[in-house]
Amino acid sequence: MKNLNLRHVVILVLLSAFIIPSLCQKLEAQNSDKIKIRIKANYTKVIGESSYIDITTSARIDKRNTNIANINLTVFSENDDDELELGETITDHDGKSRFIIKDLNKLLKDTLGFYTLSFKFKGNDIYNKASNDVVFKDANIEAKSFTKDSINYVSATIKDVFLDSLLAEKLLNVNVKRLFKSLPIGEEFNYTDESGTILVPVEEGIPGIDGNLVVEVILSDSDDYGTVKALVNTPFGKPVVFDDTFDKRTLWSSRDKTPIFILIFANLLIFTIWGIFIYLIINLFKIKKS
Amino acid sequence: MNDHKIIIRDLKPKKFGKRDTIWTISLIVIIVAGVIAYIDQLIKGQEVTNMRDYALWGIYISNFVFFVATSFVGSVTVAILRLTNNNWRTPIVRIAEIISLAAIIMAGITIMIDMARPDRLLNLFIHARLQSPITWDVVIIPSYIVISLLLLYFPLLPDFAILKKHFKKKKPKLSKLYGKLALNWTGSKAQKALQEKSIKIIAIMIIPVGILLQTIDAWLFSTTYRIGWDSSSLAPYFISGAFVAGVGALVTLIYIIRKAKKLEEYITDFHFDKLGKFLALACMIYLYFNINEYVMPLFTAKEGEVDHLNELFTGSYSIGFWLVTIIGLILPIIILLFKKGRKPKVMFYVGLAVVIGSWWKRFIIVTPTLLHPFLPIQGVPESWRHYFPSLHEWLITFATLAMAFLIITVCVRYLPVIPIQRTIDELEASKTNTKNTSS
Repeated sequence: MKNLNLRHVVILVLLSAFIIPSLCQKLEAQNSDKIKIRIKANYTKVIGESSYIDITTSARIDKRNTNIANINLTVFSENDDDELELGETITDHDGKSRFIIKDLNKLLKDTLGFYTLSFKFKGNDIYNKASNDVVFKDANIEAKSFTKDSINYVSATIKDVFLDSLLAEKLLNVNVKRLFKSLPIGEEFNYTDESGTILVPVEEGIPGIDGNLVVEVILSDSDDYGTVKALVNTPFGKPVVFDDTFDKRTLWSSRDKTPIFILIFANLLIFTIWGIFIYLIINLFKIKKS
Repeated sequence: MNDHKIIIRDLKPKKFGKRDTIWTISLIVIIVAGVIAYIDQLIKGQEVTNMRDYALWGIYISNFVFFVATSFVGSVTVAILRLTNNNWRTPIVRIAEIISLAAIIMAGITIMIDMARPDRLLNLFIHARLQSPITWDVVIIPSYIVISLLLLYFPLLPDFAILKKHFKKKKPKLSKLYGKLALNWTGSKAQKALQEKSIKIIAIMIIPVGILLQTIDAWLFSTTYRIGWDSSSLAPYFISGAFVAGVGALVTLIYIIRKAKKLEEYITDFHFDKLGKFLALACMIYLYFNINEYVMPLFTAKEGEVDHLNELFTGSYSIGFWLVTIIGLILPIIILLFKKGRKPKVMFYVGLAVVIGSWWKRFIIVTPTLLHPFLPIQGVPESWRHYFPSLHEWLITFATLAMAFLIITVCVRYLPVIPIQRTIDELEASKTNTKNTSS
């Protein structure tokens, strides 16, 4: 009986020696078949409006970077070992998602005022699990417009909210918002001075609806602060005069706004032709009676 | 039997023979098949056609343009020859007037066939925008129908009176009908004056109205800013094309009617010779406009236009394009330049080639342009990139053609195809001239 048990144990060990590695190989092969997901995240703050993270999920498929849709990401606020789940977000058909930060004050931050948001993907049958994080500090841009010596200016001051200190030597871009790409104004590089301020003149003659221009001051892709954007409405634009033909008599307007020349010409033709027809039909009656 | 009686005997409408009856029944069968297809199209909608998002104008619009073009024969032959005092026109004008009327009636019906919802026809009038060429078309087609009818009717008055008298004993019912249509015509001075004045007005008026009709037809295309249609010379191009289609149809039908009604003594080789020269002139003018329309863009064409031209010259429409150009236009010109080429039988085949070529030409004008939009065709099934008419479309097309033939057949059956009174008057005048010359 003892020998029998020993024999069973030996067989089991031998079988295990062959089966377990092959099982492991299979599992490993399964893992290696899965596609690796890349998560890219950028923090943006629009002053007075919202703060959000723009997330893109992509993967290397057929030697090409391809954005991956429908990736479910869990968002955490982290500080050392603490972790606070903020919610979930799913990438759209372009592999993009925007996670709105409802209240910055509710996030965890470290002693230097840095926030760490991490994005975790659990993985699925096709893609491996993946994660990434974005680290940023809160900054504020205060922008205003004014006119001095008949020159219109936009000034902006940037400061670190946590330290309550003005930020010098920061590159700010100043643009006028347009329908498509924004129009840069001022010098090519606008660095803040010691008081964290820039001063940019606004050229005259830039067209705007009712003469209004929306000027945006942007701190772009800062290592510490991400992207911070402030918008300021200014009355410095040249009012746009719309060539609106809606109420005018045009070739493309509705029937009640037919151009006068067409009304006259077409009706003249119609009434002349049909008038002659009536005359000819009267002639037929005359022939019958005569 | 005196000359008058011989002329009346020869030119009066005659009862259908066996061949004519078979012809008429065949036309009715084709029409019935087309009506069934049309009812099915009404029930199922335009999906029974092969027209889709891109080829949204198909064979129906080609037919419409062809009928409109053919109807121009009334303007060019009747009015122009009348106003230029070409007396040789007498035996051919009535046939031209009949073709003109039949073609324009069928043009009106064809455009309704193309409408997916004919029950909304009234909306074309109620919601008409005078800026739209479609509205102009809606106005001009009924106008041209009326003027074609008047052009046919006024010269018929004396003939109706003759036929009333002729059939009084043999066919009293028919005589009564002709009597009513004759409007108490006695040939009095007052009646003649009114008739001549009216015919003169119609002859003058039908030329601008005919040109307007062809122009509006062309503007339906040229105002849409499409490759192949966006041309400032499309209207004269259409007018010259209509000239060809109309005279071609006239030559073909005159030959058939002459043979069927044994009118060789009245429609002679001389008339065919004249018509041949007329058709040659029409073809040459049209060839000039073709060169203008297709060769000029070769020098200035943008990429989209080059694709379109390549499709016509060497692509899928090239066979049709070159057949139309060579057999339907260039070859007829060459044949018609020779006297032998203007003999009746040769002219019949030339006319037939010109008419078939004219129809295909309209198809080539309408379809390839629609399949070359400025924005690329995307996200649609492969079949939508091409167009070839469905069985429904073919049946309806043949039915409309048969309807046009049926109108002509009925007219030929009950109307004198050569003006009787005018032929008598011309005979009298020639006798008087002979007497005067000999005395």
